[in-house]
Amino acid sequence: MSAKLTKALEFANYRATMNNQQAKLKAKAEGLLTYSVNGGSFKIDRTLITFCKTLLNDGTEVAVLLDVYDNPILVELKEFYDEVMSRYFEVTNDYYLEYEKLRKSRKTHKVLDLNSEDDE
Amino acid sequence: MNKAPKQGILMFAHNNQEINYLELAVLNGLMAQKHLGITTEQVTIVTDQSSLDFCKSYMDKELEKAAKYIVVNTDFIFKHSNTRLFKDTQHSPKVLPFYNINRCDAYDLSPYQETIMVDADYLIMSDALNNCWAHNNELMMNWEYSDVMATREFPELARLNPLGITMYWATVVYFRKTPEVETFFNMVKHVKDNREYYCELYKYNDGVYRNDYSFSIAAHQWGGFHDKGVAQLPVKVYKTFDNDDIYKMEGQSMYLYLEKPRSPGDFMLTKWDGVDIHIMNKWALGRISQGIREYINSEPEPQTTEWVIKRTAEVDA
Repeated sequence: MSAKLTKALEFANYRATMNNQQAKLKAKAEGLLTYSVNGGSFKIDRTLITFCKTLLNDGTEVAVLLDVYDNPILVELKEFYDEVMSRYFEVTNDYYLEYEKLRKSRKTHKVLDLNSEDDE
Repeated sequence: MNKAPKQGILMFAHNNQEINYLELAVLNGLMAQKHLGITTEQVTIVTDQSSLDFCKSYMDKELEKAAKYIVVNTDFIFKHSNTRLFKDTQHSPKVLPFYNINRCDAYDLSPYQETIMVDADYLIMSDALNNCWAHNNELMMNWEYSDVMATREFPELARLNPLGITMYWATVVYFRKTPEVETFFNMVKHVKDNREYYCELYKYNDGVYRNDYSFSIAAHQWGGFHDKGVAQLPVKVYKTFDNDDIYKMEGQSMYLYLEKPRSPGDFMLTKWDGVDIHIMNKWALGRISQGIREYINSEPEPQTTEWVIKRTAEVDA
């Protein structure tokens, strides 16, 4: 096998590993961005945060929000908003840090946080 | 007066000649305590006397620390007749007894008002299951699952037959004790006791008794004969398959060998941490049991968050 082809295959392996690790990071963030309260479960995302902020700006204190099952859940808005904002910032911050570390890894063993000796 | 905690984890663990399910359940019980913040009383393992005696011989202290135990009698006729193919990667397939007959008794056996029933090999590596407690949905289980290798797909696992009802996974089931949920478990028992009939009705392969099938049929009926009538958990179920292997457990990270979809026998490494995972290769779990023990006994890593953009009161305002 030519050196060129070997290198191309090595890169393909690296990309496959990288893609899977990125998918895993996303899975971890998605899991942490689930918030259950008052018998309902919410996906913390930009839509939820913006909607809550809009209601708060209108002076609404208590509201019924539809959760991931489309069930109506009664929440105290300020407390709810603070909690989802806090979680959103924490999770996306960690996601960003881990993603950047991954993005800068140019070898398969670095993507996996393994010593190169282990990898061989 | 019942002094059992209101919420808890329930597992079933019956060893066969090769697989030590009880050891897996014990380690998982300890993991559950570490991540979900629960106590020994909040983990219950249903097992049999011989499995318990075997584990007592070498891990007595861990047994005591991990869970409370309910010892049930073994139906030996079922045990020897219900066999399935287990694989320690595709290089080592073995036909062994698959003792899963009593999962339908979970409602009766659970000492908790709210129960999360998990497979012994569903490793609790996060606090995600805490999202289930006090939920409005009195019964939840997943029909969706995600493969740890994002590019693999197994369409045959989506339904009981290609034109049949959706298959639910009995890997993780949340239930609250209500008369309605009791009827669900009665349906599961009915399906189990009338396998030939339901096999004909729902057109699935009855080679081996599987709880996934009986729970799926019960979900279909209990949901008003409506497909996907039972709500899913607020938690995704991630799986690896028995063609996969585990390289090692180091700290909180598990390194998995995942078999490539179009290249059998060829593996890709993946680092997995912080997300619950169902490991189908039981031998692989056995091989890294020491690493799991070290992780369980390790102190939690100090939180040293490096903030890129920290949320402040000013930002909020």
